[in-house]
Amino acid sequence: MTAIVQPDRRHIALWGVALAAPNALYLTLVLLIPLGMVATYSFFTYSTTGVALPVLTIANYAKLGDPYFLRLIGRTVGIAVKTTIICIFLGYPLAYALARARPTLATLGFFLLLTPLMVSPVVRAIGWFVLLDRNGLVNSVLMYFGADRQELLFNEPAVLLGLSHLLLPFMVLPLVASIERIPPNVEEAARNLGAGGLGVFRKVILPLSLPGLVSGAVLVYVEAASAFVLPALLGGRFVRMIGNEVFDALLVSYNIPQASMLTVMLIVLTIGVLGTGLALSRRGTVGRSAP
Amino acid sequence: MTLGSKSLAAAVVGIYGFILLPLIVVVGVSFNTSSRFDFPPEGLSLRWYHSLFDQPSFLHAFLNVSVAAGLVTAVVATLLGGLAAVALVRFRFPGRGFLEAFFLTPLVVPHILLGAALYLYFARLRLSASFATLVISHILIATPYVVRNVFAGLVGLDPRIEEAAVNLGASRFRAFLLVALPQLRSSLVSSIVFAFIVSFSDINVALFVSGPETTTLPVYLFSQIQWQSDPSVAAASTIQIVLVALVVAGLQKVFRARIGI
Amino acid sequence: MPTDRVPDLRVEGLVKRYAPQVSIGPISFEVYPGEYLSLLGPSGCGKTTTLRCIAGFEDLTEGAIYLSDVRLDRQPAHKRNVGLVFQNYALFPHLDVYENVAFGLRLARIGRREIERKVRAMLELVGLIDVSQRMPSQLSGGQQQRVAIARAVVMEPRVILFDEPLSNLDLKLRLQMRRELRDLQRRLGKTTIYVTHDQTEALALSDRIAVLSHGQIEQIGTPREIYERPASAFVADFIGTANLVKGVVIGTANGRLTIEVGRGLRLIADWQGAVPRGSVLLMLRPERIRFDLPQADAIENRFSGTLGDITYLGEDLSLAVHVDGGLELMVTAKSDARNRALTPGAKLELSAASADLHVLSS
Repeated sequence: MTAIVQPDRRHIALWGVALAAPNALYLTLVLLIPLGMVATYSFFTYSTTGVALPVLTIANYAKLGDPYFLRLIGRTVGIAVKTTIICIFLGYPLAYALARARPTLATLGFFLLLTPLMVSPVVRAIGWFVLLDRNGLVNSVLMYFGADRQELLFNEPAVLLGLSHLLLPFMVLPLVASIERIPPNVEEAARNLGAGGLGVFRKVILPLSLPGLVSGAVLVYVEAASAFVLPALLGGRFVRMIGNEVFDALLVSYNIPQASMLTVMLIVLTIGVLGTGLALSRRGTVGRSAP
Repeated sequence: MTLGSKSLAAAVVGIYGFILLPLIVVVGVSFNTSSRFDFPPEGLSLRWYHSLFDQPSFLHAFLNVSVAAGLVTAVVATLLGGLAAVALVRFRFPGRGFLEAFFLTPLVVPHILLGAALYLYFARLRLSASFATLVISHILIATPYVVRNVFAGLVGLDPRIEEAAVNLGASRFRAFLLVALPQLRSSLVSSIVFAFIVSFSDINVALFVSGPETTTLPVYLFSQIQWQSDPSVAAASTIQIVLVALVVAGLQKVFRARIGI
Repeated sequence: MPTDRVPDLRVEGLVKRYAPQVSIGPISFEVYPGEYLSLLGPSGCGKTTTLRCIAGFEDLTEGAIYLSDVRLDRQPAHKRNVGLVFQNYALFPHLDVYENVAFGLRLARIGRREIERKVRAMLELVGLIDVSQRMPSQLSGGQQQRVAIARAVVMEPRVILFDEPLSNLDLKLRLQMRRELRDLQRRLGKTTIYVTHDQTEALALSDRIAVLSHGQIEQIGTPREIYERPASAFVADFIGTANLVKGVVIGTANGRLTIEVGRGLRLIADWQGAVPRGSVLLMLRPERIRFDLPQADAIENRFSGTLGDITYLGEDLSLAVHVDGGLELMVTAKSDARNRALTPGAKLELSAASADLHVLSS
């Protein structure tokens, strides 16, 4: 590949290990061990003193049978899936436009996409909060047209709105990368053979940008399922997701084992999807010749 | 642009409107003369910006915590991640493929999970929330971006140019310093900036690992909007928006390239 | 062939094994002071690998390389002082022309004034003194190549290596650069090893050519020797175009062989040395076959044929001829008015000198 080829000499390999070691060590100490701890704590017993009693139990997981938690998981997955779908619909036009735009226009487009992305989620939630408030802009517009004042906040649509707004760039960026790989003259060939706009999308863009789509969808889903700040601000008590539950269990009720269990559940719900997504994208690219 | 250009253009403009609307609202609200969250603002005033500078907690969160943590994170993450990327690209050793995936793991683990796990971890180690715990956590989430960035930069280098340097008398190491490093300038700078922004904007992790003395700006905003709402929140948010916009535009100008995520 | 001079570079039994079944070599050759040797062959023949072994970017599995009788292959690449000009020049993109050329000198800790003197002299030599402040991206392809050469030559290496430097250029530029290269090499008098897959280039530039195929040297010789007396069918076919005809030796007399080809056609070829037995391969270059020689002129081989296909090549015509006696030959003729009037089916009287028929043992 790119290494200046001085074939396998051991002392050179050692240099490689030495350079990678600090980060590997860091990740082990700060990622693996904490995550391992969480998994362990999920099997411990709730304790009012100290972190948790090291008495193994599955009581925490048994709680999952409780309708409250079942609804919680269902709501979380539901919101995550719906957010993903919204982002797909909004993301494709944007991604296509960015992929095919002139460089100056593309730079502007990315600027307008990246800046909101890099601004904290809190700021964006505040914006929606103001917009959807009882006295906010949306209500003012609605009332101007004679409709009633609506309660636009603290319900699922508000959370969906906020989340899809937040996560749209996560869908757009991988899609753009994928669409850019499609040579423009493949689209032209399709048109030449009689395909209209939608046809070109269905027959050319969609199948060829599948890797980017899967990538983006997985990203959006994972982030949406684990969302916390947005549901807290825009959903309040009425739209609680697993993330909110984890926060409360951890920092409010100090129920460490329960929080750990929920964290593990979240990992299952998200990484499980990730793994499927990865497997899907791999199968999709096998047998496809490189562009 | 094809695919029914007009309808596509209209859709794109609409979607961008959707994207920018909340931010525009926040900026607009910050200029309110009244203490209500009116949008469009009733009048224009800078009073809420002035009031920010009278709030020591804001200044503390902004400068002492967020900016400071961002800078430390940026430097350490770039060092850790840069060295790791060099190891992955330029050397062969057992476990390299595994490390390639391992180093990128924090990117796929949702931040809230990391936050919760780190909270437990620090509690178990009896470390109370401090600047150190905050920075340690931020380095964790920022380094993978650096690894990916520098990795891509290294892979894009022409190995023949370093061979030319070796041919002219430079050892492999000196060739890397004199030839490869200068060409990695854009990767390294964008890595530092990225790491800073990841740290500066993070909330999901900071909520768990920051304490009363180490409230980051986003956490500060979060509690402000929930408990004490006046447009100074919007003013603080606007400052953040402007800062980020300047950084993104600056990077784009300098490198004429997109910043990948 | 200079046999009394001491070679600057000697490659002995070089073998490079990539995988259990994949290797090149053994390769051996010598390059003499001031000589321009080309390593010529198709992609994958091992010429670039050999060059990189000399430069030190690949290790030898077996064999040795000597630079002025000092063992070279044991030394690390950055200590060898063999100049290398890369295919895409590999200029340092972040340094201007002056700094590119000065790079190696700075590494060698040569004094600043000395560096300046040498760099300026070299830039004058290659005609780039006016653009010394420019960055590589602001230079034309030809200028970039001159920087690459200057950078290597200023180090005063014993040997300069070229790795297909002209293959990325379009035809006109390539021809122009080829002339400049030859001029430069003559002026500098540096021992040069030049890797290329372009046989016209090798013929035009080299003092000697080593033709490689599948990791082995098929033949080393002057351009003329390679062209007129190829040692194998591969060399005959790789350099220029060749008619290769199977035949049987049926007689020998006065340093000539009589060979029967096709159905009873007899051709006479010059030959020296032991008479090959049995079947042989006969090579005849298309441009050496004439069809307009008056009957009175003496020539060893005459035969007749019918014209098949004619291809117009601008300067020349390529004629496919069905020779009586069951042969197909390609004949190259000048594209003059008379030849252009030829039509398929025309009867032709062909002739070829025995010196132009070259025998390759089968």
